[in-house]
Amino acid sequence: MPLEIQIQKEISPGKTGTITVKLTGSLDTATAPELERQLGPAVSGAVTDVVFDLAQLKFISSAGLRVFSNARKQLKERGGQASFIHMQPQIQEVFEIMKALPGVAIFKDVSELDRYLAARQRAHREGNAQS
Amino acid sequence: MKRAEPISMEFHATPEEVMLAVGALQKFARANGVEDNELFGLALALEECASNIVNHALRHDSKLTFQMSFEVTATAVTIELRDRGPEFDPTAHRVSKSDVTEMAEAPGGWGILLVRRYMDEICYRREAEENVLRLTKQLGGLSRKHDFVD
Repeated sequence: MPLEIQIQKEISPGKTGTITVKLTGSLDTATAPELERQLGPAVSGAVTDVVFDLAQLKFISSAGLRVFSNARKQLKERGGQASFIHMQPQIQEVFEIMKALPGVAIFKDVSELDRYLAARQRAHREGNAQS
Repeated sequence: MKRAEPISMEFHATPEEVMLAVGALQKFARANGVEDNELFGLALALEECASNIVNHALRHDSKLTFQMSFEVTATAVTIELRDRGPEFDPTAHRVSKSDVTEMAEAPGGWGILLVRRYMDEICYRREAEENVLRLTKQLGGLSRKHDFVD
């Protein structure tokens, strides 16, 4: 099963610096290198938050988890974060078994994510105002 | 559930052929009555173990090959993998809950942890200069569901 990768930049107010990565198919030993290649330039520069939409991801192995982990490390160095939405049960189970991506945020849908991002940006603004 | 004769196949040491092996397992198991909810774990375990062979034992040398055989009975699916790479026993790695991040750096790392979670038995032996890894998954609620974490 191949992997389809769609990377979209968020342009709505309050979400600048965020990209959404929609994955469809199988993130495995054969397809993980392509995701890593495409994510490289995407998570550099001004991007601080990456939202992985896994609604159509059917399969994941440790090769895929490693890509997520590397992206998370890169983003964390710049004060950003990797988030995950719409996980199918079998994918969520793998994440739970690993408990291996400390610091990642998992949300059931976009509205839950939006509330979280809004709170983060508010905290960030308040922090800047105080300093 | 149907009973099928075991089948054996040979694959080259590439990630793409690992996924061909996974596809063959899924097709074979489904055709023999294995439920979809069991297939994910079987596919994942095979992907991880075959990837270890390609990455660590055969070092991505696409001229080299590994062998895989499957057997489905009324109570279990068994997968056997054979390669002629250096000796590597994935069952030798024990995992403590605090070592999950550390495991990512070890050969096979997270993959081994996942295999232990999804399969009921993992047996390794070195036989006639081959690594032989035998994975067994009990079917139909017979699974011991050990998480193999100390």
